[in-house]
Formats: sequence, C-alpha cells, structure tokens
Amino acid sequence: MGESNEDIDQMFSNLLGEMDLLTQSLGVDTLPPPDPKPPRAEFNYSVGFKDLNESLNALEDQDLDALMADLVADISEAEQRTIQAQKESSQNQHHAASLEVPDFSGAVALGYGANVTAVSVSQYEDDLPPPPADPMLDLPLPPPPPEPLSQEEEAAQAKADKIKLALEKLKEAKVKKLVVKVHMNDNSTKSLMVDERQLARDVLDNLFEKTHCDCNVDWCLYEIYTELQIERIFEDHENVVEVLSDWTRDTENKVLFLEKEEKYAVFKNPQNFYLDNKGKKEGKETNEKMNAKNKESLLEESFCGTSIIVPELEGALYLKEDGKKSWKRRYFLLRASGIYYVPKGKTKTSRDLACFIQFENVNIYYGIQCKMKYKAPTDYCFVLKHPQIQKESQYIKYLCCDDARTLNQWVMGIRIAKYGKTLYDNYQRAMERAGLASRWSNLGTVNAAPPAPSSTGLKTGTTQANGQIPQAAHSVSAVLEEAQRHAETTQDKRPVLGNHHPGAPRAPQLPKSSLPPPPPVRRSSDVCGSPATVPRAKGLSGGFPAPPDDSLPPPPPPPPLDDEDLPPPPPDFNDAPPDFVPPPPPSFAGAAGSPLPPPPPPPPAPEAAKPPPAGVKRAPVPPKRKENPGPPSGGGSGEQDFMSDLMKALQKKRGNMS
Amino acid sequence: MAGMKTATGDYIDSSWELRVFVGEDDPEAESVTLRVTGESHIGGVLLKIVEEIKRKQDWSDHAIWWEQKRQWLLQTHWTLDKYGLLADARLFFGPQHRPIILRLPNRRALRLRASFSQPLFQAVASICRLLSIRHPEELSLLRAPEKKEKKKKEKEPEEELFDLTKVVLAGGVAPALFRGMPAHFSDSAQTEACYHMLSRPQPPPDPLLLQRLPRPSSLLDKTQLHSRWLDSSRCLMQQGIKAGDMLWLRFKYYSFFDLDPKTDPVRLTQLYEQARWDLLLEETDCTEEEMMVFAALQYHINKLSQSGEAGEPTGTDPGLDDLDAALNNLEVKLEGSASTDVLDNLTTIPELKDHLRIFRPRKLTLKGYRQHWVVFKETNLSYYKSQDEAPGDPIQQLNLKGCEVVPDVNVSGQKFCIKLLVPSPEGMSEIHLRCQDENQYAHWMAGCRLASKGRTMADSSYASEVQAILAFLSLQRTGGGGSGNHPQGPDASAEGLNPYGLVAPRFQRKFKAKQLTPRILEAHQNVAQLSLSEAQLRFIQAWQSLPDFGISYVVVRFKGSRKDEILGIANNRLIRIDLAVGDVVKTWRFSNMRQWNVNWDIRQVAIEFDEHINVAFSCVSASCRIVHEYIGGYIFLSTRERARGEELDEDLFLQLTGGHEAF
Repeated sequence: MGESNEDIDQMFSNLLGEMDLLTQSLGVDTLPPPDPKPPRAEFNYSVGFKDLNESLNALEDQDLDALMADLVADISEAEQRTIQAQKESSQNQHHAASLEVPDFSGAVALGYGANVTAVSVSQYEDDLPPPPADPMLDLPLPPPPPEPLSQEEEAAQAKADKIKLALEKLKEAKVKKLVVKVHMNDNSTKSLMVDERQLARDVLDNLFEKTHCDCNVDWCLYEIYTELQIERIFEDHENVVEVLSDWTRDTENKVLFLEKEEKYAVFKNPQNFYLDNKGKKEGKETNEKMNAKNKESLLEESFCGTSIIVPELEGALYLKEDGKKSWKRRYFLLRASGIYYVPKGKTKTSRDLACFIQFENVNIYYGIQCKMKYKAPTDYCFVLKHPQIQKESQYIKYLCCDDARTLNQWVMGIRIAKYGKTLYDNYQRAMERAGLASRWSNLGTVNAAPPAPSSTGLKTGTTQANGQIPQAAHSVSAVLEEAQRHAETTQDKRPVLGNHHPGAPRAPQLPKSSLPPPPPVRRSSDVCGSPATVPRAKGLSGGFPAPPDDSLPPPPPPPPLDDEDLPPPPPDFNDAPPDFVPPPPPSFAGAAGSPLPPPPPPPPAPEAAKPPPAGVKRAPVPPKRKENPGPPSGGGSGEQDFMSDLMKALQKKRGNMS
Repeated sequence: MAGMKTATGDYIDSSWELRVFVGEDDPEAESVTLRVTGESHIGGVLLKIVEEIKRKQDWSDHAIWWEQKRQWLLQTHWTLDKYGLLADARLFFGPQHRPIILRLPNRRALRLRASFSQPLFQAVASICRLLSIRHPEELSLLRAPEKKEKKKKEKEPEEELFDLTKVVLAGGVAPALFRGMPAHFSDSAQTEACYHMLSRPQPPPDPLLLQRLPRPSSLLDKTQLHSRWLDSSRCLMQQGIKAGDMLWLRFKYYSFFDLDPKTDPVRLTQLYEQARWDLLLEETDCTEEEMMVFAALQYHINKLSQSGEAGEPTGTDPGLDDLDAALNNLEVKLEGSASTDVLDNLTTIPELKDHLRIFRPRKLTLKGYRQHWVVFKETNLSYYKSQDEAPGDPIQQLNLKGCEVVPDVNVSGQKFCIKLLVPSPEGMSEIHLRCQDENQYAHWMAGCRLASKGRTMADSSYASEVQAILAFLSLQRTGGGGSGNHPQGPDASAEGLNPYGLVAPRFQRKFKAKQLTPRILEAHQNVAQLSLSEAQLRFIQAWQSLPDFGISYVVVRFKGSRKDEILGIANNRLIRIDLAVGDVVKTWRFSNMRQWNVNWDIRQVAIEFDEHINVAFSCVSASCRIVHEYIGGYIFLSTRERARGEELDEDLFLQLTGGHEAF
C-alpha cells in the first residue's frame, strides 16, 4: 500500500504541476499579469490534496483510478478554459484576467477523516444544468456595433441582464466538491466525487451506473451516526454535501448505499399509513390488501390536492426524559404542524394539546439498539434532532414505540409532515428512473400497463334494497369506476417507447393521467440512461422485486477503470496534458467477457456531443469542444457562454461610448 | 263567443275565468282576470296578461307562479290542462329574478338579483358567474340564522351594502377582463368598489365583535349551521325565500378544485375569508402554535392588501435588485481600470459591529449581561472583550445558520433582547443579545433571522425584514403595550393592529396582547416574503391541514342504537363520532361505498360499503335531504377532471343530490 501511495503522491504532484502550468500560461498571455490569485489557488490545492493524501490509505486502487479520472476531466476542462480565455484575452485582455479571478479563489477545502475525504477543486465547467436564468441566452445577441440609437436603451437593458447573469454564474463557479466513501451492502466501498449542488437523487443515479443494480425505488443513501446510534434515509431532494458538512472532522459516521423498503413504503401501500385503524387489530388483514386502483386514488387524494394530507396518527409513546435514562409514557398526536402531546388531565382536543416539537429544524432518525444504550422499553425508537448536533445532547429527542409497525407509521408520518409533496415528487422520479432501467432490461417483454381492471363486482345503480325508492339509489363506485377507467384508457394509449430513446421519462407502472405532469426531468437524457450500462441490470420484471442482497451483481472490476460514467476522452484529449498518462477510454472488454448479454453499442458520437435538450443557443464563441457528457453533466459550457456574452456586452458598451 | 253563458252559468265554450295577480306574492296586488280554456297554452296566457296590464315594460323576465302547488309555470307550450290548472289556482305574474341580500364568506353584504325560478344549483352558478367565482358547484346558500331581536337595539350601525342589482351580465362564456377586473365590474365606481371588496381581504375584525359573535361550544353547536343549507334541486321560491331576504353564500363542499391565484382572485379571497372566520370563531379547532401561524399570515395579508399590492409579488426578482447596484459599480470600474479586486468588493457582505450586552445562561452562574464588542458578518456572530481586541481571536464565534431566533421584547419596558439557540455538534448553545433601542434591535434581529436561514445581510430581503420588525414593534406599542389585557376598540386599528383581532377569542383570554405580539412576530418571519395571493393560499393550505378541517357535522341516530350520535361528513369519508366525548368511533371512506339510498318516508339514509358493510341512520339535526346532498355532492366533486375544465355536468349533480321530488 505504501508504494502505491507514493505513486499516487507522484501522480498528484504531476497533476498539480500541470494545473500550475496552465494557470501560469494564462498569466503570461494575459497582459497585465499582476494577478495575485494563482498562488492562492495553488495554496488551496495543496490543502485539498493534503487532506486527500491523509485519507488515501483508506481508499482502494480502483477508487483512486476513478478519482483520478474525475480530476483529469477537471484538468482538461481547465485546460480548455485556458485556451478559450487566451483567445478571448487576445481580444480583450484585462477583462478576461479580472474575471478569471473568482474561479480560483472560490475553492474551499474540507476534510473528513477516514470515511469521507474532501477535496477542493476549482471548477470551471458547470456539472449541473445551467441555472434557470439560462433561457436568457436564447435572446438574440445584440448585433455588433454600430447600432441604431433608438435601440440603445434596449441594448443597455440586455447588457445589464447579461452582466447580472454573468455575476450569478461567477457565484456558481465556486463549486465545492467532496469525495465521499460510500459503503455498499457487500461490505465493499466506493468513492465518488459529489458536487456541492448534487442532490441525493443525483448521487443515487451515479451509483446506479457504477454498480449496475436494478435501480428500484428502494435504493437509498443512508447515513449512520455510529456514535449516537442513529440512522436515517437521505431524502432524494436533499443536498448531499450540505448534510455531510454538518459532520465533524473526526466523525465515524458513514454513508451507505442500500435498499430500504421503508423509503417509499407509503406510496406502495398507502393504506397502511392512511387507513390503519388504531387499536382495531381485526381490520389489519383486510387493510393490507388493497387494489391498485384504490391505492392510486388514495395517493391522489393525499398528495395531489391543494395541500397534502398527513396521516392521522396518535397513540401512547415513550419519551426519554432530558438527560436521564428514564422513559415516560405520553399520548402523542401527529399534525401537519408538528408533534403534540396531551398534557396530564387534559383531553386530546386541539385546544388542549401542547406542542412537543415542530419539524422545521429537526431531522428524523431511527434509533438503533436504544434498549441497550438508553434502557428504552423497546427497540423501536425514533429520534429527532437538529442535523448539526453530532454528540449526545439534551436537545436530541428520543421516542419509543411499542412495535415496528407503529414505528414505521410515525417515521413515515413525520417525513410526510416535514417534506410534504416533495416526498411524492421524489418517489415519482425514482419510479421513472426504475422504470427506465426495467424497460432496458426487458425490452419487448413487458407490457406497458396492465389492462384496465374489469368492472366486475360493481353494483349498478339499479340494485336496490327493498322498500326503497329506486331513483334515490346511486352507484358511487360506478361513477368512480368510470372516471378511473377513463384515466386508465388514456394511459394505455401511450405508445411504448422504443429502445432508441433512453430518455423516455415515464415509468409504465404509473398509470396516473389525472395527475399533474411529473416534474421535468432535471437533467439531460444522456445522463440518466447511459445505455451501455443499464441493460446489465438483471432479474427484473415489470414490478420491482428486490433481489436478495447477495445477488447484487458484484461490480466486476473493469480494469483499469471502474468509472463507467467517465466519457471516452475526445480524440484530441490525449495530447493535452503532456506529462501525464490519462486513463484509457473505458473499454467494454470486461463487460463483453461476462455472461451477460452484450451491451448495446455505445451511443453514437453525435448523440453524445449533442447539446442538452434545452437547446440553449450558444453565442458565437470561438470553436470549442463539447466533451464530457458524462454525469453529472448537461449544463455543458455555460461558463463559456457567460464569458463571451460578457465580453460582447462590454465591447458593445465601449462601441457605444466612442 | 267567449263570455257567453248557458243558463246554468257555465260558459258555452267551456272557457273560464282565470285570475292572475301581478307582482310578487302580495295578496293586495293588482290582478287581471282572463278568460281561458283548458287548451290555452301558458304562452298565450302570458301574452294576454301583458295585454291586459296595458303598461309598457320589459316583461321578458316575468313568469307565472302557482302558489298552492309551489310551482313555476315555465313550459310555455304546455296547456293549462296539462298543468292541471283550474280556476281556483292562485297565480302570481312576477319576475323570475328578484333581489336578495347575500352575506358573503367575508361577512360583507351584497344585494343582487338571483333567479327564483331555476334550481338553486343553477341560481348559485349564475351568482358565482356574476361574482367571478369559478367552480360554483363548491358553493351553496344557507338561510340566515334567526336574529335574536331582544338584545340591544340601540347600536346596530347601518352596514355598507354593496349593490349589484343593476349589473347585467352578458351571456357567453368567460367575462372578459377589463382594467384588471371582469368587465361588468368596471362600469361605475360603485361596482368597482364592490369588486375590490370581493377580491381583497378584509381588515381584521374588531376583537370586541369577535367576542360577541356566537361560537360553538360543543360538537352539537357545530351541527346547527348545517341544518340551514338550502336544497340544490329546488328553486328559491319553492323554498320560501322572498325577495329581499338575507342568504349566506358559503363554500359548502370542502374540495377545492384547481385553485389558481391568477384566475381566481375572488374565489381565493372568499375562501381565505371563510377559512379565517372559521378559525376565528372556533368552528375548526387548532393548536396554539397553529393559531400563531394563522395570525401571522392574517397580519401579513392585511398589510399587503392595505398597501394596495394586490396580487403581484413584491418586486421583480429578489436578489436581482441589489445586483443592479453592484453591476453599475462594476461597469464604472471596468471601464476605469482593470482592478482585480472589483469582484471582491462586489461579493463583500454588509456586516454589523456594535457594543451589545451579552448573556450566556449556564448552570450555576449568577452573571448577568456583560458588554461586549460584537461583530456580525455573513452568518457568523463573534464577540470580543472590547473593540481594541477585535482584530484578534474572538471570545466565541457562532455560526447562526440553522439556529432558532426568539424575540424577547417589551417595548414599554425598553427591553430588546434576542435569544439565540445555536446548534453545534455538541448540542444547542444559548446566547442572549440585548440591544439598546428599537433600531439597533431591528437590524440585528433581521440579520439573525436571515442568518438562521443561511442567508446574509446582503440578501435583498434584509431591508424589508428590518422594516417589518420596526413595524411590528410600533404595533406592539399601540396595540397592547399600555393597557395590558384590555383589548382596544376599533379606533386603534388605524395605527397599529390589534393582535386580538387575529386570534380566536380563547387566545384573547389566555394571553395578554404583549405576549401575543412577539409570538405572532416570530411566526411572521417565516411568511414575510410571501405575496398576497401566496399568503392567502398558504393560509388555506394550513387550514386544510388541520385534522378537523372540512367536516360537516350532523346529529343522527344509527339504526339499532338508542342514543344520538354525530355523523361527520368530509370530502372523502363519513365519520361516526360519539356525541358526548367527541371520539371517532368509526370511519367509512367514500371510495369503499357501493351505494346509498334514502328512504324518504321514514327519513332514513342507508349506505352499503364494500364487504357487505351496511349502515343506516336517521337524521336528527338536519333533514336527511341535507345529508344525502352532502354525500352526493362529494361524489360528484370527485368525478371532476382537469381536462373538462369548468364545464359542469349539472344533470349528474342533480341526479346525485336530488331528492325524490326532483324526479
């Protein structure tokens, strides 16, 4: 290991040298060179890499390779940026120089001991889609001078807009990145770089591609606080870096990648949460089975109205008293605004309730082995704490339920109250993702949707009890059924999407025509369905059978690079960093050697180079390469746009002035 | 030949005299007598009446009302025989549209003409069209409660009555917009004022009035309201409503379809008002914490609607404004020289530095507040022993991101404290800052609030936050600071706002105004950035999230049970509730319902659910027609689809809600 570490050190110092070189070359070419920032940038790098070095012992070789690949991609971006900046600076030198500064100054270094290592990388290219303001770029660029005077105001406005945009982008250029070590459920680990703006969903997508798992909705990122013995599921919309930033430097907390059926249990069986009759055990069996149609309407009712419905939940729980190891039984109620309890001698009407906690500032965790650690009455505990608290504290609230079912209901109920509709949106996105994967794995074998359920068991309106006036008899279900059927037929008509379109976002398992359309898929299609990798998921049918843990295909280490999402370097890439050997393009040899069906051919080159579907019209910047479509990407070269726009605006301004 | 009699007195052509009173159902009214036969068509009779009256007038809205049968004779091609009409019929020839006074959800009164001849469902639809409220199927009319006359007659100030009787709505689809309001409102200043009344939230009510108004003290009281609903399938005339009567317009079915702030200003406002009164009069119970949020939203909504910022969000895009200034700065500098620190300047964040007194509560400490030099930069608060030591290391530095900020203010006592509960890996650390005056307090408080949300004082909302805090402090000064627990009269509302007007009376009893104000202020910080319609929508959503939301209560007696119980009807379920305790006994969902029947003779509703669960009950507090209509109405509303838009399947509604007399 020591030797390999030395190698790595060597590689990194090479890398550093390379970056330094690039920065300096920029400094040389841009004429007013007294740019104080490059040294600072270097300083930042060294800090970052030092931390990295510390934690490298824990990393495995393949992780390092992946890491290196990521870094190389960054370097190539940097280099490309430099080239462009040079071109621009030849037109307009000092502006370029002054605008270059924040790119270097923004890097922040963070280190996270053994499990998580932070690296700060100065970021040139946006990995994520451009900010919503981007459509501004669609505006026709102001024509070059001379310009009619009448348009001057308009042009000034356009220019002001552009500069604003530019400033926003400057802010975004300061992107923090973490290297996160994720524990797999086969006890292996994977390290991946997580962008400051990446959500748990993005990281999951990333992991799907790395692990070739079945992508079902149960997969989640899971954080474990070893010391506090609490753990929880990352919500898909949560910002991963933000959550991890709350951990202390020397933490033993872990991030796991595993399947948890609790994650979206409410959407699979809403009746267990919404229709559970408390205390009435006899209804339990009947409740558990519910046909898909009723589930559908129950979900729609609960999550698609003007406001969402939080499951009605109340009952006696044990509360750990602050700072003590004794537990007190109290009657708690869940409301959308928080958890309440019934004070002694009061009734459970709204006016008597006392607020126990509100959800704004706390996260919900499962407590592990609280029976042992805190002498809890049972092991079914949940914990509420401010995400920043990392040590034992009186501000952490422990609650204990009688059984696992109650525990799951409370945790899910609290998540619904806290996150609201976001949770449902997350689920739908996860379904899309899962549907996409399963479509790939059994193309042509799965029907798009089951046929509309037959209307047997329906009573028509003519059925009547004796002695009653016939006209007054109405069949509710008939009406409902009709509406439902209508919804489902429209669903059935949807064409089955062909395999040439990996980005088709709708999962066939989601017959829901009356719902609002799913939130727009945030990333370009080439990200979520890297066609070369997805079809390898096996054991999938229309549903989502969770494969047993051990059947998870152990990621065949495709030497020398595990990083599938790294795109083949563009042809002119190889000669760019001269003293550095870039990883070879990901070869499919490893995959072809496996017993799995041969993967479809890699996406055709033009597809890969295609700009994101948003169709951002690019300013006529100097010819540039559009490599690196791998995830996370999609934004393409937004930075370039802003630079050139800014330049244009400034030039024009000068033209007007003179 | 007409008029020739036989010896027995019968007319030879079997014609007979028909007496028709002209006017509404006033027996003193003038009358005309016509000679008709059984074969005469109603249309012909109408024509004859108009000829007889010999008055030039637009009679097109007039029709004949048959008093004994309580029926309009609207089929002009029907003969008298077909109607079964004989000479003894008391007929009135009167207008079909008559003025009524409508008590709107915002409690304002409005006079307008409503159809007395169409089924109520249609009449409400046209009222809603006039008021530009979409989805009229969600609303209905109630009889006004009977007034108790005995109580003080001396002071009932004549309330302002808006008049829309003259407004004629052109047929057609959607009324066009003109000057930001439906065209028919823009005719005169009067109607324009009426539109503002409809589309803008009303100021908070006088707390004294609030205390006087009847509030339900039990579940039983809550059933009273629901006995007053009118029947949707019959017309107003048939239900004994007279011209000039007062009726309440309310959202009846708590299932609000496609609520859109852009197209629904009136609907949104009226719904907000109904929700607000529902909470203020304790029809729907909520907790203390929830009430504070509702109060804060009301305060915010009132502030926005007073300042006239209707509908539109404030400003264009927060965040761009301060950039503007910075950009101008940038341009100047870029043209001047290529200074490299331009952008550094741009990104600098305003900071606060001042002497403040700080107190850190710890166990076993008797130390009070001590003066420190405090620097607040970005989201960090650092304090030093003195200003001279500021360049060095602070005594402590706290990152306020994610912290809890609690105001501890007493204006009359000149106490301006900020309690901070700052999270750290070890737990929460508490620190109190004491400011000298309002101004200092407002700036630091605003900074702390933004920092707790992870924003800095460079955020564009900083200035408005400071203003909001100052405004609230002044409110406290005028509101409850002086006289303590005595709520003030309406005269005080001009300056500040009485917090008692924002909360249900039981909180008036529980808290002093000066206790209430900081709590409302605390809740306000989370909603301060909302626009008017967003805030209204948020209010409605929070209202909908209450567990007791949208349940209409009726006293019933279940078959086989000996005692009265409560049936709660919500938009998705029926709830059987114990009358005495208020506990939910059983819930049935509409989605499991197979059919329901009403036996009108024994006034019993029978419902069959899946798995052969049968339920039957007779209605005690309201007629079973009201229960039946509620169930049918909710079923109807659940069949609505987005694709169909506003088109109404009236037949289906009447089929689902109509009683046997409708067929």
